[in-house]
Amino acid sequence: MHSAVYKVGLHYLSWDISGGNARCIAMLQAFQEVVKDYSTPPENTLNRDMTAQISSYVSFLIECRPLSISMGNAIRFVKNRIAKLPITLSESEAKASLHSDIERFINEKIIGADTVIVEHAVTKIRDGDVLLTYGSSTVIEMILVHAHELGKKFRVFVVDSRPKLQGKLLLRRLIKRGINCTYTHITAISYIMHQVTKVFLGASSVFSNGTVYSRVGTACVAMVANAFRVPVLVCCEAYKFHEKVQLDYSICSNELGDPNAISKVHGREDINYLNGLTNNAKLKFLNLMYDATPSDYISMIITDYGMVPPTSVPVIVREYQKEHLLQSSKIVI
Amino acid sequence: MIFLEKATVYYLQFFHFEEFSQEKKKSMWRRSPSFILDERRSSNSPPMADTTRGPFQNPDSISAYYQTRAAHHGVITSDWLAQAQAAVGGVSGDAQHDLSVTDLGNEKSFNVIEEFNNWRKQPDLAEAVAAIRALAAVIRASEASTMMELEIELKKASDTLKSWDKTSISLTAGCDLFIRYVTRTSALEYEDFNSAKSRLLERAEKFGEISCKARRIIAMLSQDFIFDGCTILVHGLSRVVLEILKTAAQNNKLFRVLCTEGRPDGTGVLLSSELSKLDIPVKLLLDSAVAYSMDEVDMVFVGADGVVESGGIINMMGTYQIALVAHSMNKPVYVAAESYKFARLYPLDQKDMAPALRPIEFGVKIPTKVEVERSARDYTPPQYLTLLFTDLGVLSPSVVSDELIQLYL
Repeated sequence: MHSAVYKVGLHYLSWDISGGNARCIAMLQAFQEVVKDYSTPPENTLNRDMTAQISSYVSFLIECRPLSISMGNAIRFVKNRIAKLPITLSESEAKASLHSDIERFINEKIIGADTVIVEHAVTKIRDGDVLLTYGSSTVIEMILVHAHELGKKFRVFVVDSRPKLQGKLLLRRLIKRGINCTYTHITAISYIMHQVTKVFLGASSVFSNGTVYSRVGTACVAMVANAFRVPVLVCCEAYKFHEKVQLDYSICSNELGDPNAISKVHGREDINYLNGLTNNAKLKFLNLMYDATPSDYISMIITDYGMVPPTSVPVIVREYQKEHLLQSSKIVI
Repeated sequence: MIFLEKATVYYLQFFHFEEFSQEKKKSMWRRSPSFILDERRSSNSPPMADTTRGPFQNPDSISAYYQTRAAHHGVITSDWLAQAQAAVGGVSGDAQHDLSVTDLGNEKSFNVIEEFNNWRKQPDLAEAVAAIRALAAVIRASEASTMMELEIELKKASDTLKSWDKTSISLTAGCDLFIRYVTRTSALEYEDFNSAKSRLLERAEKFGEISCKARRIIAMLSQDFIFDGCTILVHGLSRVVLEILKTAAQNNKLFRVLCTEGRPDGTGVLLSSELSKLDIPVKLLLDSAVAYSMDEVDMVFVGADGVVESGGIINMMGTYQIALVAHSMNKPVYVAAESYKFARLYPLDQKDMAPALRPIEFGVKIPTKVEVERSARDYTPPQYLTLLFTDLGVLSPSVVSDELIQLYL
C-alpha cells in the first residue's frame, strides 16, 4: 500500500476531504505519487501491473468512502492512459508521460473547466440579483466571489440542511469576502423563494437524460424554485457527466451515510432524545447522501462546453469522449 | 358623507405609507394598487428618483438593425425621420472611430463597416450574408502572407463588425460562423497560403447562395405541414415565411392567412399586400386581436431574428405573446429560420438580452413624463415552440443546442 493513497483514504474516511472535485484531485495526485515511485516487476509488463495496482488502490479508497461519479470517470481516464502507453517506451518515459497526462487532466478538466464555468456563469448575474445556493460547492463559491470582484451588487441566500451543515463553511468564506449573505435552513425555503431571482446549484453528476445527481436536498430546492418560476442554473464540469440514465429516486444507487448522524446534534451531546431507541428493531435511521433532480426543473446547465439545456447532455458526453479519442490518435501519431 | 369617506380612505393610505421604511415601500410598490400615490412620494424624494432612473436605457439609442429594416420596408414616419437624422450623426461618429482603429491595425484605408453597410442596402440580402461578404472583402484587401496573420485580421474585423451593432444576433452569428469556418479549415488542411485564401473567398461567395437556397429548402420542408383549408397566423415580415406561403400558393394549396398589424412598423400591412398580390386570402388583425382570433387558427408561422442555444427564439416584439396564446389553446407554433441564425446565447428571461430599441410613434404627442417601452423584440422560450423549419431539416427546439455544440466544438 502506497503511503500517499493510504493518507488520502484516511482523509476520505474522516471527511476532511469531501466534494467531487476535491476528492478527485486528491486521488489523482496520490496516483501521481504512485506513478513516480513505481517500478516494474521483472516478470510483468508495466501496463498490466500498474493497472492491477491502481485497481487495488481504488478498492481501498472505496472501502473508505464510495466513489463519486467524477472519481469513477477520472479512474477510467487513468486506466485508459495506462492501457494506451506504447510498449516501446522506456519505464521512465512511460512514467513521465502518465504523470503529465494526469497533470493535464487536473488542470484542464477540473481547474480549467471551473474557470470556464465561472466566466459563463457571471454573465447571468446582474446588479440587484438575489441568488440562492444550497450547501457548499466550490465552483459556486468561485462564481459568487468573481461576480463580487467584478463589482456586481447582489445578495446571496445560503440554504443549509442537517446533518452535514456544509453551508456554514461556504457562508463563512463569502462573508470574509464582503458578500451580502442570508443564511437559512432548507425548511424555510418556500418562504424566502419569492425574493430569489436565480438559483445556482452544484452537481455531483449529470446523467444522459439531463437528471442532475447532487447532494440530498437539491431536488427539493429545484422543485420549489420551479414552482416560483425562478430559473435554476446547474454548474457541473463535463468530466462529471455520465452516460447512465436515472428515471426515479432509486435508493439502490445512493450512498448511505452514518445513521447515527441523524439522531445526534453535533456539538450538543446532551441533546439525544433518540438515545434509547437506537437498538429498536422497528426503527431505522436513513441518512442519504444524494438525490436526483429531473431535468424538467433545470433551466440551464453551465459546463466547460458552454451553457446548454438539459436535453443536450448526450451531445456533451459524446463530444467529450470524441475529444479523448482524438487525443489518443494524436499520441499514436 | 361620501366625500368624507373618500377623504378618510385617502388619509389612511397616506398615513399608512409613513409607517413603512424605504425598503418596504419598494416591495409594497410591486403589490400595492396605490402605486400612483407611491410614485408621487418618490418623485419628491431625490435619492429615490435617482435610483429609479439610473438603470433606464438611454432612450435616444436606436438599433441600427431596425433602422435598416424600417428603410427596407418603406415605413417612414416624421418621428423616425427626425431620430434617423440624429442616428446618422451618431453612426458617422462610430464609423470615424472604427476607421481610425482599422487604420492603426492594418495601415490601410479599408473600412469593414463601410463595406458591410453597402451590402446591407440590398433588401433581399440577409444581414449574416452581408457580414460574411464584408469579411470576404477584408480577405481580398488583406496583405497578409500567412494564414495566421489573415486569421488575426479577420478576427479583428469580425469584432469590429459585431461591436458596431451589438443588438443584431444574425450579424454576430454570421461573423462567428465564418470565423469558425476559417479556423477549422486552416487547422484541418495544410495547403499553401494562396490556394487557402482563394478557397475562403470562394466559400464566402457561396454563402450568399446558401442563404437563398436555405429559404427554398425551408419552403419545401414546410409544405408537408400546410394542408388544404387551413388558416395560418403570421407575425412579422419574414422573408422565409413569405417564401413558405408563396410556395404553398404555387402548389395550388388553398389556405387563408391572418396577419398581425405589426405596429409600429406596420409589417403586417406590407405582408398582407404581398399576399394579396399572390391571390392568397388574407385578413389583417390588430395586434391585440390575436387571442380573439386564435380559435380560427390552425397553425402559427413566425420567422426568427435569432435562434438561441436553449432552443428558443428572439424575434419581433409580440412573438412571445402570440406563442403563449397559441400554446394555451393548443395551436402549433412553427419557426422558420436559416441555420446561420443559430447563436450561442442562452437568455433566462426577457431582460437577459441587450435591448434593441426603436422609435415608436403613437400619432399623438406623448408627455415627457410618460415612459415608453421601446424594445423591438422579445424572447420566446422553447416550451412554447412546436418545431423549427431550418435548412438543416425540421428540428425540435431541443436539437438547436446539439447543432451548436457540434458546430463550435
